[in-house]
Amino acid sequence: MSFSLIFKDELMGFYKSKAMIFLWIGLPLLAILVHVSSQSADMSLSILVSLVVSSIGGLLASVMLTVNIINEKDTKVYDLFLIRPLKRWHILISKFLAVYICVSIACIIAILIGLLVDYTESQMAFDIIVQNIYEPFIMTLSIIAISSAIGVLIGVVAPSILVGVLLVIFGGNYVSSIPSIIPFVFNIENPFTIVLILGIIITTVLMALSILLFNKKEF
Amino acid sequence: MEKKIKCKKCGEITTISVNPGETITVNCPSCHAIGKITFEKTKSDILEEKTVKISNLSKKYKDILALDNISFDIKKGEIFGYIGPNGAGKTTTIKILVGLLNKTSGQVFINNYEMPEQKSQAHKFIGYLPQKVAFQQWRTLNHALTTFGKLSGMEKISIQPRINELLEIMELTKYKNKKIIQLSGGTIQKVGIIQAILHNPSLIILDEPLDGLDPESRYKVKQIFKDLSKNGTTVFFSSHILSDVEDVATKICILDWGRVLKIGTLNELKTEFVKEKQIEIILSKKSDKFKEISKLAGVQNVLEKSYEKFLINIDNTFSYDEVIHNIIKILLKNECHIRSINPITPSLDEVYQYYLRKGGKK
Repeated sequence: MSFSLIFKDELMGFYKSKAMIFLWIGLPLLAILVHVSSQSADMSLSILVSLVVSSIGGLLASVMLTVNIINEKDTKVYDLFLIRPLKRWHILISKFLAVYICVSIACIIAILIGLLVDYTESQMAFDIIVQNIYEPFIMTLSIIAISSAIGVLIGVVAPSILVGVLLVIFGGNYVSSIPSIIPFVFNIENPFTIVLILGIIITTVLMALSILLFNKKEF
Repeated sequence: MEKKIKCKKCGEITTISVNPGETITVNCPSCHAIGKITFEKTKSDILEEKTVKISNLSKKYKDILALDNISFDIKKGEIFGYIGPNGAGKTTTIKILVGLLNKTSGQVFINNYEMPEQKSQAHKFIGYLPQKVAFQQWRTLNHALTTFGKLSGMEKISIQPRINELLEIMELTKYKNKKIIQLSGGTIQKVGIIQAILHNPSLIILDEPLDGLDPESRYKVKQIFKDLSKNGTTVFFSSHILSDVEDVATKICILDWGRVLKIGTLNELKTEFVKEKQIEIILSKKSDKFKEISKLAGVQNVLEKSYEKFLINIDNTFSYDEVIHNIIKILLKNECHIRSINPITPSLDEVYQYYLRKGGKK
């Protein structure tokens, strides 16, 4: 009961936030901008867009979560939640899911715009285009998941918003790209399955660590 | 406590150990019949019920000892005023009580649930207002209160009427659908008080609840504390405004340097402070014959505070009422025109300063 309530509230809080409005409009606009400026004939627009938006969306997700958690920690917003019969992990998981869902939807909209452009401009069949973007799509969702989990972890441990944002920009981005690099560096067969598995494992580990630290934290 | 019970089947009398209000299963040693018995609480049991029990509580922040072995109990329905200078350890105690901070040593019980080990059970009874209350700013006042009502386990049907009732009392109805970010500091403080009492908790813990409130709101909040106390709710609050503590607290604890300096009712606190009784006499017209009262038995000295105002110290070994009676008699006999006679009792402020000077600094 308390988890669904907190999750619903967080989702409502994030999708109405200014940062999310920027994403809802900004990422699809970015897809159109990429289409207008793109000269690449080797890569379809949908794949190009998915690569661009996953990195921007991932970064924004982690910054949003870090800033939100540190800000709420500093202003003592959590005090009123933590003195009620509520598990601490409910707060972190609901924030993670709310941002992950919102950013993923914004990215999906941008990718779908790319897909639509590819379909109308190329001679390729629709199912082939869909097949082509399936793999970048998995990569996008994995990167956003890891970025969001990094955002939560840094939000829990960082002492100030400035430190948190610096850690996200200079550290978080590298960690979130690990699953998308490893399969290709080691020339693994079926790289996107590995990307998916690594994405799930890294996200789970980061979230478990965040929850562990948050549970021990004094307010 | 020990109770004797009689087996309904065989009539055997057995002595058992049981707590008031507890339901236990009893096995008759003679016929082995099994039965459940609930021992009702007597009126004295209820009065003696301790909502908060703190024993030898200490808290260390690295090298700083914030709380040094403090112990006290708070009974059901008491209004407990927790006072002390900045850095005395008030907020630390409160945060340990509500489970936001971990203790270094000692024991804390809320309604017999140990903190922080059993905090999920204890939290059901607690309403809490932090020193600086904050809400997620994108929420409306009503949305924030509804969420806290639901999280505190209130029935969905009863949340909105209760919110409306409290908003009405605090005169915040017009802000009901305003976003938190649009509210002033004082209004947010009032919303904080509402969320603390929304779910009718049996223990309300408030860290400086009257800070930032206008005199009218402070009066209202104090009235709410009194009403809650009458209904059996225990109120624990810290404050720097000693006149407010004096107005509402039924028990006061003075804390400094993490140690309890004095604990008791206001009268108990004053007992040690007041070495001699004082009365103040104001005359409507100055009279030279006034000083004759200094010759009376029981009058230690007479101090002239101003032209017509006199302070008289009365020896504690004499009957206070008798001495005052004699003073009035002499004044009337000497045709002194009396405007007023008032006993002088020390304010909490004076008592507080006395205990701080006496035992505060290490």
